[in-house]
Amino acid sequence: MNLKDCYNFSDFRKLAKKKLPSPIFHYIDGAADDEITYERNTSAFDDVDLVPNVLRGVEDVDLSTTIFGKKIDLPFYLAPTALQRLFHYDGERAVGKAAQKFNTMFGVSALATVSVEEISSLINTPKMFQFYFHKDRGLNDSCLERAKAAKFDVMALTVDTITGGNRERDLRTGFTSPPKLTLSSLFSFATKPMWGINYLTKGKFELPHLQDYVKEGTSTNTSIGNYFSTMLDQSMNWKDAEKLCAQWGGHFALKGVMSVDDAKRAVDIGCTGIMVSNHGGRQLDGSRSPFDQLSEIVDAVGDKIDVICEGGIHRGTHMLKALSLGAKACSGGRLYLYALAAAGQAGVERALGQYKAELIRDMKLMGCTKISDLNRNNLRFR
Amino acid sequence: MSLNDCYNFEDFRKLAKKNLPSPIFHYIDGGSDDETTLKRNTESFNDCDLVPNILASVGKPDLSTTLFGRRIDMPIFLSPAAMQRLYHPDGDKASARAAEKYGTFYSMSSMGNNSIEEISNISSGPKLFQLYVHKDRSISDDLIDRSRRSGFDAMCLTVDTLVAGNREKDHRTGFTTPPKLTLQSLMSFAMRPGWVFNYLTGKRFELSNVKKKTDKGTNISKSVIEYINEQYDPAMGWKDAEYCAKKWNGPFALKGVMSVEDAKRAIDIGCTAIMISNHGGRQLDGSRSPFDQIKAISDAVGDKLEIILDGGVRRGTHVLKAIAAGAKACSFGKMFLFSLAAGGQQGVEHLLKNMHDEISRNMVLMGCKNLKELNNSKIIYRK
Repeated sequence: MNLKDCYNFSDFRKLAKKKLPSPIFHYIDGAADDEITYERNTSAFDDVDLVPNVLRGVEDVDLSTTIFGKKIDLPFYLAPTALQRLFHYDGERAVGKAAQKFNTMFGVSALATVSVEEISSLINTPKMFQFYFHKDRGLNDSCLERAKAAKFDVMALTVDTITGGNRERDLRTGFTSPPKLTLSSLFSFATKPMWGINYLTKGKFELPHLQDYVKEGTSTNTSIGNYFSTMLDQSMNWKDAEKLCAQWGGHFALKGVMSVDDAKRAVDIGCTGIMVSNHGGRQLDGSRSPFDQLSEIVDAVGDKIDVICEGGIHRGTHMLKALSLGAKACSGGRLYLYALAAAGQAGVERALGQYKAELIRDMKLMGCTKISDLNRNNLRFR
Repeated sequence: MSLNDCYNFEDFRKLAKKNLPSPIFHYIDGGSDDETTLKRNTESFNDCDLVPNILASVGKPDLSTTLFGRRIDMPIFLSPAAMQRLYHPDGDKASARAAEKYGTFYSMSSMGNNSIEEISNISSGPKLFQLYVHKDRSISDDLIDRSRRSGFDAMCLTVDTLVAGNREKDHRTGFTTPPKLTLQSLMSFAMRPGWVFNYLTGKRFELSNVKKKTDKGTNISKSVIEYINEQYDPAMGWKDAEYCAKKWNGPFALKGVMSVEDAKRAIDIGCTAIMISNHGGRQLDGSRSPFDQIKAISDAVGDKLEIILDGGVRRGTHVLKAIAAGAKACSFGKMFLFSLAAGGQQGVEHLLKNMHDEISRNMVLMGCKNLKELNNSKIIYRK
């Protein structure tokens, strides 16, 4: 199997599984507890049907939308994800360049393996920085200042990782960052020699936004769950979020809002957007899926801020459903991470190209030529 | 595979399966008929979603609550379960000690292999006694008197076992108590020599609480089904339950209430609590799951009775959903019996620690500082 055989999400996943040492594959692929929420994030879309309109003259389809004041050519963007150089040696460089090619937004994680400065010198399309509220206030200030100096357009504060989720696959595989060789993982690393060679020869693994402040994840092996539980400030509250929003002074989003009340409060503290998200099912298993919760939140705040539907999206039609309910855009992590692991920049570009082709085809079949044509009349809930 | 590899229900179940002769494993693992209700007990939690609140600065959440007049450290406890010495040589002693260590209720079955007095000597933790109304009423009276003298905190009367359920796995494996060697089961016993050694060299197997009153289950190999059908009074009515509640004269629950009407009637006869339960799917297959039914019962009687959800609980998030829907606490049998079979007292402690950590972690992710904050507004039922 190679990149040419990848037509959809599950193909990219298969190829990624072939390429990655198993602890790393399962870090991407896994979720919390019994992974009920992870599965629901996608299956929620199946409880709603699209109802097309015919005879609308649809030869030209415009997929562009405006989020956080920036026009992007696709109604979805690449959600910030950690540790991308573990998945492919080019890491964020590959993903950023692919995002630029399709003129969509690229989200860079605080736990990224390439610096905001380097990303900013590589691409000039819209960029989001994802921020964790650390106990170390010096580290927090440094992240904000560097992202601002690097001309990032949006700051997203993650609010659903106040403690690490119970990712049992990582417990079993012993996944840590940087990867640690254990007896049980040795075999899996040894059977993927290309990954090992690239990891060792293509530049030192580092977390450039953190390394001046913490040793965890950079020179010391730590699990992501452990990182969340020990490094992040669990006392983070609405006042802190409001202060960060003011300190940033630009487009600011909360990532991981699920309740209507919290969405309203996000408007009050000055946010210009929220990601309705459960962190890809990786935190609280049994929690509601973004798509199940989307309409209530759009009804409450959709006219005041940008509502992003994040999680579970595998198909263009999933995006059409979320956009019809009133999401301003969609985003996802696994959406492009398997493709990154499968083939670096070329993989991500192939994935983005396919989502784009699906969106154009499905918009035509729905009888729509622009994103604003999509509305709830297109949908019937079963 | 060892205890350290046990992160969840399925892990404990696997290890128990490895340790136990198969008729005994299947006695725990099985439900009645097609096991539809057994499956639904857990699946029902998936039709309801938790909705977390963010930026709530929770810190370390308080998991404590009061149940049957005792303060407990977390809203879960061990359901009464019969014949625990079949699963581990320490039997009820292991469960009682583990529960005490984690500050919650241990429950003793009428069909325990340790006596009321023995357990009360080794544990000062919260204790619940589970009663069956026997045809010979002096047996039930004796159990109530002895529980009171031994300082048990509460009593529950099981009301869903008037007749034994159709546990087909037990028919097929030929499960009896005490275990009887049949040609089919011989292999499975022979492959677990450790279990057989412990069973033969440990204390004699007996139903310690009823041994003076009946030799059934002690000398003669009986299937549990036969025992239930011979000993328990199928004519038991509300008057009998009221008699037991009055005679006990302390915190008292009916175990196995499923209808709203019966829950209301439980208040009238002097109950302080009910356990919504279908006996872990081991009695009436096709009956409703506790979680599917809890909201209706809680709406009707939640302010007058303590509601315990018993059945299907495997995860911290299941407990959170039950509490948000109106439960005071949850209890479980299968899950802790697997952990008992997996590693005795240490196994049960491992399970209780896992559950404690899951509940605590998920309270933080929900943005809840204590169990009171976990109310109806935190869940949404899917259509």
